[in-house]
Amino acid sequence: MSFLDVWYLIIGNPVLNVLIALSHLLSGEFGLAIIALTIVVRLISWPLTKRQLKSSKALQDMQPKIQELQKKYGKNQQKLQQETMKLYKEAGVNPLGCLWPMLVQFPIWIALYQAIIRALATTPENLLDLAHRLYSWDIVNQAIPLNSHFLWLDLGSSGDFILAIIVGGTMWVQQKMTQAPAVDPRQQSTSRMMLLMMPLMFGFITLMVPSGLALYWAVSNIIGIITQYFFTGGWGYLKFRSPSQSTQ
Amino acid sequence: MKQPKILLLVVIALLPLTLVSCISGGARLAKGWSGTAVHDGIIYVGTVDGRVVAINSSTENLEWSYSIAPVTAPSSGLSCGQTSVTTAIYSKPVVDRDIVYIGTYSGQVLALNMLARSQNLTFPQRSYGEWEWDCPIDNAKSNAIVADLLLSEDAIYVSSSNGRVYSLDKEFGDLNWESKILDEKHRKLWTSPVIQGNTLYVSTFDGHIYALSLETGELSDRSFESEAGFASSPVIDEDTIFLGSFDRYLYAVKIGSDLPMWKFPEEKPAGNWFWASPIVNEGIVYAGCLDGKVYALEADTGKELWQFESQDSRGKPAAIVSPPVLVGNLLIVANEAGNVYVINPETGNSERIKNRKNGDKPTINAQIRASICAHEDLVYIRGEDNRLYVVDIDKREVSWDFPLTIEE
Repeated sequence: MSFLDVWYLIIGNPVLNVLIALSHLLSGEFGLAIIALTIVVRLISWPLTKRQLKSSKALQDMQPKIQELQKKYGKNQQKLQQETMKLYKEAGVNPLGCLWPMLVQFPIWIALYQAIIRALATTPENLLDLAHRLYSWDIVNQAIPLNSHFLWLDLGSSGDFILAIIVGGTMWVQQKMTQAPAVDPRQQSTSRMMLLMMPLMFGFITLMVPSGLALYWAVSNIIGIITQYFFTGGWGYLKFRSPSQSTQ
Repeated sequence: MKQPKILLLVVIALLPLTLVSCISGGARLAKGWSGTAVHDGIIYVGTVDGRVVAINSSTENLEWSYSIAPVTAPSSGLSCGQTSVTTAIYSKPVVDRDIVYIGTYSGQVLALNMLARSQNLTFPQRSYGEWEWDCPIDNAKSNAIVADLLLSEDAIYVSSSNGRVYSLDKEFGDLNWESKILDEKHRKLWTSPVIQGNTLYVSTFDGHIYALSLETGELSDRSFESEAGFASSPVIDEDTIFLGSFDRYLYAVKIGSDLPMWKFPEEKPAGNWFWASPIVNEGIVYAGCLDGKVYALEADTGKELWQFESQDSRGKPAAIVSPPVLVGNLLIVANEAGNVYVINPETGNSERIKNRKNGDKPTINAQIRASICAHEDLVYIRGEDNRLYVVDIDKREVSWDFPLTIEE
């Protein structure tokens, strides 16, 4: 059994079939099925998200202490970095922890990307290939072929600018809410770059992947923003000024 | 500390790119699987590289080849702009006198004159009766022609991926009429229409069988609606329509009836879709299924007479994509794994045609998806390896094969 066979057996085909089954349950609306799947994925990854939110909240609470360190070791960057990391370690916090839920979702993205293309079957080859991947569930077979239209989107096509802006914008907000401002000026530039680069990158990629996948990203980001807002009790670092800004 | 962070940043940034450019497992380009047609000793077939070729079945030589102009399409992946793409062909050529008609995935219907093509004249030679017709996109995603064209005495009927059926004048390619959009939800009309009397019947992915006036294209009230979409083109025998559905049943519907006469299997659905159109002969329906089986059923009742499971070289069931054909009193079935079977239509007893080089291998070393055709004792098959295979049913062997990829 090759890696691809294992991939389709464990992830690819289950995601495809669940998505189609959800579509049948939701009045044949494939877009709603993607949204429902997004919620399911977010629920499954909730323990990880919760950990990340706790970490984020802890970082937020630590800001006064970090600012003290900034004042104390402002001229000795190496010492400042050491002390900051020590503080993070003591609090059990990882400043890059917000990235892990994203990384964990990568296999889901890949499976979803494949599932959307397969399920919407834009070519006869895709449709024939789909026949070989469907489970024998009635609910799945009765849903085929799927309707690719949802709101203003064609979920099987790429290049929607509005969706690209939504994906990029929501990703920026979510990251801004969770990403603790760096203390070290060199780290600050990296953080700033990361904060901008990821939303821009995803906005750009949205223009090239099927809108269905971008819909997943947008909904996932919005769910992330909502949970972050209620879990940490506010907009987090979205309204927070970095230590360097506050000392200027 | 800084370096690992930058590295992480780069990795994270590159992963989505990898997602787009490398994980192409779901995407498949339209390559086409044009079937074969035989007329006056010449075999006509569409190729993977966008040609229509004519091969002399006696001399086994190429008579002529016409390369359909490539189409421009948006570049895939991360590159921008337009790219030139070979035209895919799914419909089989249909021949009437000295004209070969073919529909393309780029939304064209071409009428090719045999003499003009053998002289390699510029297309279209109107004085030779050649024409081309561009199907409008009509606010749809595509105008692709996937279904086989249907010829009548003076018209040609075309199902388009824009959801409409078109009637064209056979001689000049002028539009006679266009139907209303038959499948608003999917738009894809990938099934061929069929004529009965003065009515055209079309099945759709949203589960309808529509009846259209042959003269005007107007819908009559004799349409049938099913819960599941129809996967195969309809076939009519006397006053009954037979066709396969995505819910894994084969339906028989009396023309004008709101309810199916029967559906097969009676209880549990089959193992997969009935993708290929069934054939009906002397009151028996022969239906190939993507579960690898051929079912013989009484046309009146849907009662199963026998079933036969086709296999791949590992002994596993292999899907039947192309419709079976009858050669004399024998049923010929080709499966996706490349095996060709000769079946007794009365008993279901079968014999696999062996590969002449290695008997354990499939009959031909390529997938078979295109519709096959038979003439006298020979069956003509286009393999997915872009070769034409001629199978001699009497001798139970592949008689000869011909490469369809022609190097310039």
